[in-house]
Amino acid sequence: MLAQAPHPASETLPLVRIVGLNKWFGALQVLKDIDLTVRAGSRMVVCGPSGSGKSTLIRCINGLEHFQKGTIQLEGTALGRNARNTATARRQTGMVFQGFNLFPHLTVLANCTLALRRVLMTPASEAEEIAMRHLTTVRIPEKAQAYPAQLSGGQQQRVAIARALCLNPRVMLFDEPTSALDPEMIKEVLDVMIALAGSGVTMVCVTHEMGFAREVADEIVFMDEGRIVEHASTEDFFSAAAHPRARLFLDTILSR
Amino acid sequence: MGFDLHFALSTIPTIIGAIGATLLATILSCLGASALGFTFEMIRRGGGASGLAVRFLIDFIRSTPVLAWLYFLYFVLPFYGIRLGAMTVGILGLSLYYSGYLAEVFKAGIDAIPKGQQEAARALSLTRRDTIVFVIAPQMLRNIAAPLGNYFVSILKATPYLAVLAVPEMLGRAFDIASETYRYAEPLTVAGILFLALALIVAYGVKRIEQRLLATGRR
Repeated sequence: MLAQAPHPASETLPLVRIVGLNKWFGALQVLKDIDLTVRAGSRMVVCGPSGSGKSTLIRCINGLEHFQKGTIQLEGTALGRNARNTATARRQTGMVFQGFNLFPHLTVLANCTLALRRVLMTPASEAEEIAMRHLTTVRIPEKAQAYPAQLSGGQQQRVAIARALCLNPRVMLFDEPTSALDPEMIKEVLDVMIALAGSGVTMVCVTHEMGFAREVADEIVFMDEGRIVEHASTEDFFSAAAHPRARLFLDTILSR
Repeated sequence: MGFDLHFALSTIPTIIGAIGATLLATILSCLGASALGFTFEMIRRGGGASGLAVRFLIDFIRSTPVLAWLYFLYFVLPFYGIRLGAMTVGILGLSLYYSGYLAEVFKAGIDAIPKGQQEAARALSLTRRDTIVFVIAPQMLRNIAAPLGNYFVSILKATPYLAVLAVPEMLGRAFDIASETYRYAEPLTVAGILFLALALIVAYGVKRIEQRLLATGRR
């Protein structure tokens, strides 16, 4: 393939570009004709009723889920059939899971340095420096030598955020990061995410925390039954969501 | 003819003299069976034609007697020009035989690891090999320390089978004494006690290792 001449649009090339995405689990279609673009610096919240496909969508973005139709590009590299491209694309993403998924047999620090050492081949001392920097970002540097089981859920999730940040991803993906947490721990995780958003990190976040969405997001995607039924700026979404499903969702969530 | 304690004590040095062969066979068979069993399980997990073949092989191994393997390797292989020493055949036979069982143990240990662990490893771009070495294997070991230890003790207790190949291990040596002196109780008792002592040491070691593995944070 010939190298393309740099074109003026490359500055504004979308970080994530999803076109015509369709996915089935067996006979069940879970994503229907999804078109979505995430610009660098964007803070996107994806919401919708459970089973609407939002987690599946975000898991497609880093290749954890395969899809049958459509394209996903990360900075121009297509995810999908080509394993090497998929790996390249995935390396631009950081993922935070609902269930934290920290490695229980490794210390907090080792959780953070593992991928640095094995994927980016960073020397040990430098990897630890990077890890400590991100653990400081998520306000938990004092737990570096602890094991995940010794931490609360909120602390574990903050470590998971630091672990994902260590590879310096272009986009952070959050898959319901606070859904498995006790109410008193939700705030400490959201606070870290708010600080992160303030530092200019591009993020796509699946969440039901509409207060967080209102405060942090600059655009909101609302999904229902595998489709994006509303994609609007945060202000427009909360003041004038057009789709009846979105209105109903908002009324239910906000009246809680 | 009662139990002659003095005679029993006099057989100890001879029988202990064979402890080296017993330990060598045990340790190398444990390592061989673990390496082979883990490889089998990885291939089986990979699926496809090779996965199916390994699945059949594991079932085949588990449904044949260990003596059949030893006789086969020792007496049949030379017809095909493969001549191996008695000790080598013994270790090979025990490794093969127990690999089938250990593959099942490894399978259970891996199945018990939550799916999110593999997903986290993938999301962090770890290679398949690194995921196995740094994420799956350590957690698997923690899950299976106890059953793995049981099989190691089983392998220790299976080393007397090697007597049929004239490997000079402890029970065989004890039986040699018995045949020469026509006194069976004393040498066999001594051998039994020595096996018990070794089994207790292995069990204790496994317990210590398990405690250390568990100490590093349960989920």
